[in-house]
Amino acid sequence: MIKRIEIILTAGIFLVTLSCSQDLPLNKDLTKKSYKLINQDSTLVKFPEIILGNITVMGFIYTHCPDICPMTTHNMYLTEMRLKKDNIKDVKFVALSFDPERDKPYVLEKFAEIRDIDFKNWTLITGEQSIIYDLLRRFDVRAVATDSVFYDDGEVSYSMMHTDRISLIDKEGRLRKNYVGSRINIDELIKDIKYLGEY
Amino acid sequence: MITLITILTLFFPIDENIKIIDPWMRPNAKGMASALYFTIENNTEAADTLFKVESDLAERIEIHETYSSGDVMGMREVGMIIVKAGSSFELKPGAHHIMLMRLKNDVKEGDSGEFILHFKNAGEIKITADVRSK
Repeated sequence: MIKRIEIILTAGIFLVTLSCSQDLPLNKDLTKKSYKLINQDSTLVKFPEIILGNITVMGFIYTHCPDICPMTTHNMYLTEMRLKKDNIKDVKFVALSFDPERDKPYVLEKFAEIRDIDFKNWTLITGEQSIIYDLLRRFDVRAVATDSVFYDDGEVSYSMMHTDRISLIDKEGRLRKNYVGSRINIDELIKDIKYLGEY
Repeated sequence: MITLITILTLFFPIDENIKIIDPWMRPNAKGMASALYFTIENNTEAADTLFKVESDLAERIEIHETYSSGDVMGMREVGMIIVKAGSSFELKPGAHHIMLMRLKNDVKEGDSGEFILHFKNAGEIKITADVRSK
């Protein structure tokens, strides 16, 4: 009889574990390599060290993007507002620019300020192009400059083709799930955050 | 006959030939880009084409579409939008939009901006778009 109960319990634990791992399909350790980056205040920061200890919602953007990246950023902002309503205030939000040539720290700061982004919970980061591209590879995010136009003063502007991505990272610095940034289901993201944080 | 037409007009008012519905644009800082969205309703019996947009808000304005290839998104200029007779066309996030390049000033939520839309048949249509972060 005891053996039967043990078998049932083991099967139950296995099923629960299986269903949880299906909810958060990834478990990629991001702590194996450290990246020297710069934030919107021009302060040097190390990734993933800056996010360890907090659940992090990370978006991949460039500030000259008119359509997709503002949707991604706004979805992150809406997620933050929803979490605040539920009194969850320790989730961090990181926006990584994959356009370091134009997205200097002051540009990132301005991009955030115009959207009423609260730097208490948010960090916008950029860095040297080679470092950024190495970090993008860790997340399987692709970004490449495409169509260019010349302004009258000779300056060149370009668009970028890029992965439309928001990622969820746990407190230990493990990538746990990817979402389509501009079309994310915010309810799903919040459910996953609550599962990870045991809120 | 005149009475009949008057009665019909009262009950079935004639729409504007080309109607622009709910224009809005995204916020962004001076020097950056934004997007303008709206719905074009063509109440005529012929197709019409939006081929140019003007405004003092940005240094350059183009008609664009967003496209996807798997989970990668891109954007390209399309030059014009054709709206078939008796139909409507929605410019919306993640699809067709008016790309505003190199904003001349900060554009914040609650602001508004004026634009002139150029159509082949309808000519110039002036609109005012609200700035919204959605």
